[in-house]
Amino acid sequence: MRDINRRDFLAAGVALGSAAVLGGCGSSNSSASSSAKTTPLAKRPDIAKEPGHLSILEWGGYEAGGTPAQTSGLWAGTDYTKAFGKHSVTYTYIVNDDQSLAKAANGGPFDIMHPCNEMLPSFVSEGLVQPWDTSLLPSFKNLNPFLVQKGQLNGKQYMIPWDWGYASLLYRTDKIDPADATGWELAWNPKYKGRISLWNGAGSNMEVAALKLGYTKPGEMDHMSDSQIQAAKQALIQQKPLNKFYWSSEYGQMQPAFKAGDIWIAYTWQDAYVSMNAAKLKVAYLNPSEGKLSWFCGFVLGAQTKNYFHAHKYVESFINHHACVQMTNLFYYGTSDMTIKPSEIQDQHLAKQLNVGDPHAIEASDVHLQSWQPNRSMYELAWQEVLAS
Amino acid sequence: MSTTTVTGALVKPARLRWLSSRAFARFLTAATPTLYVLLLLVGPIVLIGLYSFGLMSNIPGVHGSFSTSNWSDFLTGAGNPFRSRFFTSMLITLVVSCAAVLGAYPLAYFLAFVARRHRYTILLAVMAPFFTSYLLRVIAWQVMLNNDGVINSLLWQLHLRANGHAITWLIYSKFSVGLVLFYAWVPFVALPIFVVLDNLDPRLIDAAHDLGAGRFSTFLRVTLPLSLPGVVAGFVFVLIPTTGEFIAPLLVGGPSSQMFGNSIQAFFSDTPDWNYGSVLAIALVVVVIVLLALFGRFVSPDLAAPEEAAA
Repeated sequence: MRDINRRDFLAAGVALGSAAVLGGCGSSNSSASSSAKTTPLAKRPDIAKEPGHLSILEWGGYEAGGTPAQTSGLWAGTDYTKAFGKHSVTYTYIVNDDQSLAKAANGGPFDIMHPCNEMLPSFVSEGLVQPWDTSLLPSFKNLNPFLVQKGQLNGKQYMIPWDWGYASLLYRTDKIDPADATGWELAWNPKYKGRISLWNGAGSNMEVAALKLGYTKPGEMDHMSDSQIQAAKQALIQQKPLNKFYWSSEYGQMQPAFKAGDIWIAYTWQDAYVSMNAAKLKVAYLNPSEGKLSWFCGFVLGAQTKNYFHAHKYVESFINHHACVQMTNLFYYGTSDMTIKPSEIQDQHLAKQLNVGDPHAIEASDVHLQSWQPNRSMYELAWQEVLAS
Repeated sequence: MSTTTVTGALVKPARLRWLSSRAFARFLTAATPTLYVLLLLVGPIVLIGLYSFGLMSNIPGVHGSFSTSNWSDFLTGAGNPFRSRFFTSMLITLVVSCAAVLGAYPLAYFLAFVARRHRYTILLAVMAPFFTSYLLRVIAWQVMLNNDGVINSLLWQLHLRANGHAITWLIYSKFSVGLVLFYAWVPFVALPIFVVLDNLDPRLIDAAHDLGAGRFSTFLRVTLPLSLPGVVAGFVFVLIPTTGEFIAPLLVGGPSSQMFGNSIQAFFSDTPDWNYGSVLAIALVVVVIVLLALFGRFVSPDLAAPEEAAA
């Protein structure tokens, strides 16, 4: 009997994921519209015969408008709750990408999940999702083809892209010396010990450490070798004492601490920059010399859903033009909707600063799109070792 | 045919007799808790044990096979951070348990000997917050300890500190984790000590006084030794659950004050590696069993009779 050790276990995980990605690569040249295959609808029960109550794995703040859980002002989803009721959806929350996969695999089954794109191959290889029928989504034709194509694996549309943005360091300009705010090394500056807070996210922190260490070739941060992973781990162990805390909840933990002045430097997404500007704090969103991180997330359909048509209705209520415009004006994230006009964005200065109107911003050469990590298990283990060290 | 009927008629009453017997009642009484323990305690531990030896996997497509590599990595791997975290956590647990006993003893003493007829009212008042969720109580401490929280704001209002200059170590530190755990456990430690002190035979104290012992000497030589079963019980009450604590470090602890329980929680919720997380979980279970074996014999099943327990 062959022993299975941790290395074998991780290797098996890597092999599984690799198989999914290699399968996906075969279809990478196919166009968004032609490769999205439809599921035979005749076999499915009519929408009226579905249970109707959706169970959704979601990030806090992204709940459908009209539900009691939605308190951040998001309108998206309102069409759905108007049609099916404000109690027609139950949410289970995730606080980081690693948790999205762990909860999807062990906490479900969910009808819809909202992971980020780098997790998609793992969702597919673990059999947690099924392809969408894009013909049931009237707004699908308006979506960014680059993101749509990234949401495909094995020629099937597993992810409907919705939100995209950047990840970088938000910092107080009245507390931080401008000479120190040049790159990711700002988070390693001992001058600001106890005033820094990185996110409790394995993949993202390993990417940040990789960029700080100079692993800046395209895709390099997500394809680190064993020795590079060890170097990134050591860099994070070195940085660890400088943190006030690793934040898990943006709205419940990081933003209040930033507003209160407990922390001056935080790894975050651009909505926090918008929020701190609104709170009249003197802040800047770092443009690191090594490049910002960028990301996009989207909706995936649960493999075991009994609410197939309800799920499509729900997603349509998020990707329609009005919902996308309102989301951008609320969080200043980009959306996958290509039909948004500059005149529809309220704060032009902010929009220009964050490139939210530019459908190609996420592909720019000075940003690093967070992508699937073949060695993700190693990244996660390294991060757990950082936390335990 | 008639033979069968006769045989059946003889067997049936015998079965019925057993079903209505005292032995069956005893079997039922013992079977229910035994089944409960087997299904809900032993069963999950065995499953986690299987995961820890690689015999099971939570990754679809990965088939388990016996391996001790995760165990040897945890127990003997050079500089294994989880092992260091384990010892650090045990140290925190020990300090919190000792502090909780030291904090609870005066409370129990006050309730037993000073509060007199109001003691149960005061005890209820002390216990009242503990009828709310533990999570809510930890979050309430966040509100108290934050840099712009209740304590720092009060210090600013009283001009004891310059406005805006918070005491930063109040939260996200080992101090905050220790404080919250201390708060969480003091009443539960006070309970067994109070029960012992409340049932102490007052004639023993009177006798000590009659023999010329002062109040302090009486406490040291009579009250304290007789209350030790309650003290040990209270100590164990804190020690065992705190070994697996993860909520307080998660909410009020900083990066350097996370406990062993946080690593276990993270392996099961944030990573796909249940096998390594199971090694950590089983290690903790073993520690709890050892602690129970060590302290169990000092804990009297009848705290109301300390003299017997001491004997």
